[in-house]
Amino acid sequence: MSAAQFVPTPYIPTPYITIGPYFPWEFSDVHYDLTQHNGRPARGERILLTGRVLELGNKPTLNTIVEIWQPDANGIFRNPLDPRSAQADPGFFGWGRARTDADAWYKFITVKPGASREEDGTLRCPHANVMIVAVGITRNLVTTVFFPDSPNSVSDPVLNCVAPADRAKLFAVRDPLLDAAGLPAYRFDVLLRGENETPFFLD
Amino acid sequence: MSTTTAVPRITYSPYDDKTQIAREIPRYHRSYTRNPSKPLVQRPLTLSEQTGPTGLAEKFGAARNIGELDLSYPVPGGPRAIGQLMTLSGRVIDEDGRPLAGAVIELWQANACGKYVHKLDRYNAPLDPNFIGQGRMVADGEGEFHVITVKPGCYPVMESDWWRAPHIHLSIFGPSWMNRFITQIFFPGEPLNQTDLLLQGIPDEEARQRLIVKPCAAHKLDYYTALGFRLDFVLRGKRATPALDAD
Repeated sequence: MSAAQFVPTPYIPTPYITIGPYFPWEFSDVHYDLTQHNGRPARGERILLTGRVLELGNKPTLNTIVEIWQPDANGIFRNPLDPRSAQADPGFFGWGRARTDADAWYKFITVKPGASREEDGTLRCPHANVMIVAVGITRNLVTTVFFPDSPNSVSDPVLNCVAPADRAKLFAVRDPLLDAAGLPAYRFDVLLRGENETPFFLD
Repeated sequence: MSTTTAVPRITYSPYDDKTQIAREIPRYHRSYTRNPSKPLVQRPLTLSEQTGPTGLAEKFGAARNIGELDLSYPVPGGPRAIGQLMTLSGRVIDEDGRPLAGAVIELWQANACGKYVHKLDRYNAPLDPNFIGQGRMVADGEGEFHVITVKPGCYPVMESDWWRAPHIHLSIFGPSWMNRFITQIFFPGEPLNQTDLLLQGIPDEEARQRLIVKPCAAHKLDYYTALGFRLDFVLRGKRATPALDAD
């Protein structure tokens, strides 16, 4: 091809398509426990992060994949972009994946995240990023879960973008009835569509 | 003010809807019960959204070398899977065209008869004992990946009136939570491509073409070759341009 014919290739993001119903369970069912990594236990308060993923009409969804990404108990991400990453907990990987059962429940065992800190010092409320992946979900679908005992002194730049009336929908609820194996349960239900649907973020 | 950081900042602009699939697709019923009805909330991207898991390749035990991941050959010296032996190769790059070295790819697919190794698949086509149907691999320093498999068959969608065109599912982890990516890829010249609700759920023809693999040179195995197909995946993300940001 001569130089005159050369047209620069625009690099346009490839289209996303739903995960479909047949994501291997060998991939979806073995990463729900974030409390150890490379044989080392994670530091911090161990919790259950659990809830149901519901669709229109508050109907349960089966076989929905839920992924989370969160900082460790000190609010540090295991990623070189975090200026504090050298101090990240070596026993905490930060990413997990679970799958909803026949009654739409997912469950993670993780540690309560700490308040993460931006390079300019801004603090985030303790939170975990949540991704919902399922049949029928055609595009990347993400939200964020916050914890009810977050320090009042922290104002969260992401939470602040959500309409005040909807913010409560992004908070997990401490639910002692769901405690198991000595771990305190935090319940975070996701309603994909409906009058009270969960706020999702621009993908 | 300029700061020296070891890791370049990447910006993630929202997807251009014109290049993507529709959120609601006629006759694809669950797209009307599972996609949000309210506008998505725009938020600033903090460290939390810009970071993502590192070390997944090790955690997954993902294949690193060309030829290492072979879904069609479960037992060395044993028989191959039924079907058209093929390779899928390509690159994982960002919107600047830069390779995303170390991107982790999960893939899964039906066998040559259109049957998945999955308990929820109720289609009564036969399983192939020599087909694995799933695998994980990591893109090399050039963003390049390579897997040996067989071309998947088409199959009827359960409790519906349409058939899936042959396709392979991929789940890709780029460097950030913002470019976590899931898709399906298709084959050129397949009649069922015209009626596949998901492929056709992408309204733009050029965008659909970004999911159709391109024939390439056959891949040589021992004393025969595998059909070669290639496709590059562009994950979202551009290198930040401070001069423009200051505008």
